[in-house]
Amino acid sequence: MARGAHFFDELVRDKAAMLGLIGIVTVVAVAIFAPLIAPYDPAAQDVLARLKPPAWAARGSVEHLLGTDHLGRDVLSRLIYGSRITLMIASAVALFAGALGVTIGLVSGYLGGRADSLLMRLVDIQVSFPGILLILLIVSVVGPGVTTLVVVLAITNWMIYARVVRAIVLQSRQSAYVEAAEVVGCGPVRVIWRHILPNLVAPLLTLAILEFTNIVLAEAAVSFLGLGVQPPATSWGLDVASGRDYVFIAWWLVTFPGLCIVFTVLSINLFAGWLRVTGDPQERDKRFARGVARRRPGTRAARAARAAEGAKP
Amino acid sequence: MVRLSRLGLWGALAAGVLATALPAQAQEITVAIGSEPSTLDPQLRDDGGERQVNDNIYETLMARTADGELVPGLAAQAPTQVDETTWEFELRDGITFHNGEPFDADAVVASVARIIDPANNSEQMGYLNTITGAEKVDDDTVRITTSGPDPILPSRMYWMKMIPPAYAESGDIGAAPVGTGPYKFVEWDRGNQIVLEANEDYWDGAPEIKKITYRFVGEAGTRLSGLMAGEFDVITNLLPEFVPTVPNAAAVDGLETSVLILGTDNEVLKDPKVREALNLAVNRDAMVEGLFQGHATVAGGHHINPRAFGYNDTLEPYAYDVERARALIAEAGAEGKTVRIVGENGRWLKSREQVEAIAAYWAEIGLDVEIEIQEFSQYLDSLMGDGPRPDAIFVANSNELMDADRESSFIYHKDGAASSNSDAEMAEMIDQARVTTDTAAREKLYHDVFQKGRELSYTVPLFNLQDIYGMSERIDWQPRSDAKLMVKEMSVSN
Repeated sequence: MARGAHFFDELVRDKAAMLGLIGIVTVVAVAIFAPLIAPYDPAAQDVLARLKPPAWAARGSVEHLLGTDHLGRDVLSRLIYGSRITLMIASAVALFAGALGVTIGLVSGYLGGRADSLLMRLVDIQVSFPGILLILLIVSVVGPGVTTLVVVLAITNWMIYARVVRAIVLQSRQSAYVEAAEVVGCGPVRVIWRHILPNLVAPLLTLAILEFTNIVLAEAAVSFLGLGVQPPATSWGLDVASGRDYVFIAWWLVTFPGLCIVFTVLSINLFAGWLRVTGDPQERDKRFARGVARRRPGTRAARAARAAEGAKP
Repeated sequence: MVRLSRLGLWGALAAGVLATALPAQAQEITVAIGSEPSTLDPQLRDDGGERQVNDNIYETLMARTADGELVPGLAAQAPTQVDETTWEFELRDGITFHNGEPFDADAVVASVARIIDPANNSEQMGYLNTITGAEKVDDDTVRITTSGPDPILPSRMYWMKMIPPAYAESGDIGAAPVGTGPYKFVEWDRGNQIVLEANEDYWDGAPEIKKITYRFVGEAGTRLSGLMAGEFDVITNLLPEFVPTVPNAAAVDGLETSVLILGTDNEVLKDPKVREALNLAVNRDAMVEGLFQGHATVAGGHHINPRAFGYNDTLEPYAYDVERARALIAEAGAEGKTVRIVGENGRWLKSREQVEAIAAYWAEIGLDVEIEIQEFSQYLDSLMGDGPRPDAIFVANSNELMDADRESSFIYHKDGAASSNSDAEMAEMIDQARVTTDTAAREKLYHDVFQKGRELSYTVPLFNLQDIYGMSERIDWQPRSDAKLMVKEMSVSN
């Protein structure tokens, strides 16, 4: 508990990370409470009131704060519901791709030898295979849909987890405490579970969060191509796709879902940057040292810090 | 050095931009079409992109005026019917192909033989399936034979393009077409453009525009921005919303009628009450006004082009009556049942939007509607393949023959490529109509077919669509009702 409060203190001091966290919390809250917040059913159409601009524009009205789309559906409501699909897909993919990648990385790094070469070649092959081609292939065979999308994105995104995990496992496998554990007679399961896995938690968490943003973008791209989320369901990528034909007369159709994607990805990245440093003892020491130096006048580090902030010494 | 070369690069870029942004030279135009031709062989594929180019290179025995009236083309006059299954065509004299081959009876015989040759497996046979062969009478006279009496053979010959027989044997007709038309093929830079030049020796007078460049632009928005930037002179399938925006636009009642074909043997839709409810649930007037801004008309209770022979003008469009639709669904016990709509995106004007809008209307009367927007080749399989019929599939059916045979054989006849019913009695009537030569009796048969189709709601007829073109300031052109992009009819002012 005390440790949690300590982390929070650190977070409050880092404004960018704090903004990121607030952004993430907002998006998640919007997704969870979508039915309570959204003014309309996202699928309710009114073809006679289509392409209405946002409330503040000349022909806009407060009935539709962000305007209506090409079928007269409320853009704001669609964005609110769209966050659900986007977050759900990204989380599911991060989970599945993570599980697959971590398992393969652990096995590969721990067993070494032939199993390692085999699995890592598998990773190499998968990495060199163009992801979008694989997606096109699978979707055209199985048919588009949310489940397909999750499976396909998991299949094309697990490799980075395997590589990172393998590297860490190789490193800690050499360490004295793992050797000691083996000498006392611990089996491989216990060694992996008790002595290797804890080393993975921090880097994996950061990696998963960074990958999350990749998935948000990939989902948007695939839905944009018409291979992902299918109407009447909605997602930000799909909204950008169906709005692009009207860009000349209805800028709000692509702008708002686009901004939602940017906002989410940016928030996550800001927070993940802080988390990476916090989770790594060495980086954390460096940050701590910088902080101390800035507060102590007269040192070179403090001058540099002030110069960077634009203040006179 | 670096700065210098960078300057050079910018200069080159600027020059490039200027070159593309400048309007094409006088009497040269650039036309943006929606898809690149899959081949330039005029007899194999049923491909709109191919036709948009080849209509200017090749000609047919019969042609149509801009208003759609059938007139002689390469034929000297309207054909005469020798007996029930034989038509005789007199050919125009002294016409040659671009490569110098003469256009004569042999060329017609070879063209017919080639397109109906089962080995060529031509996709255009849907328009020509009654034709069994052609024989030469003399150099300028040809007889075409059909499997049974075929009253619309002259219309069919409006479809069949005439090819040079020797070149079709030896040359690469799919890559470098050679016809008799007003324009000659110059080059095809695949993925980029096709260039044609005027045929100065054209039998009907050399065309005014000397050079055409076709560009392939799938996105409606990209076509529009190209037109606004002065890169294109003519663009196809302009979205109705942009009609006020572009320098010059023209719309004409087109050949296409959009319709949803209902799977009448499927679990939920086998009940005619459900099918009627699906029709009553759709507010077609609102869609015409909202989606099409008036550039479409509500189809008259059946999915036939109003100008086609056989159109039944006594049939009323379905009313918009949500209450009654809900009641029918309740009566049929279909509340909450799943109905799956299959559609595609991009081939026809607003095809995806029509499907999405209709799905929402159907959801309103208490059905659980699933939309599947398929990739085009997959969609064609769903439409015409042998697999199970979807509950509802969207198509905008084009009637080039201007005869109800097209829509009824394709969609109503139980063996039709896109048909989703198994009504043997109706198929019988359509077969009968196809071989009836008495005009009044034939029309009556079609009227009865469509009456029945309306009563049993085999389809959800939607709209007769207009073709909308965007043009630059300098183009003067009245689009044709048969949707052919005939450049010889355009003129350029400067």
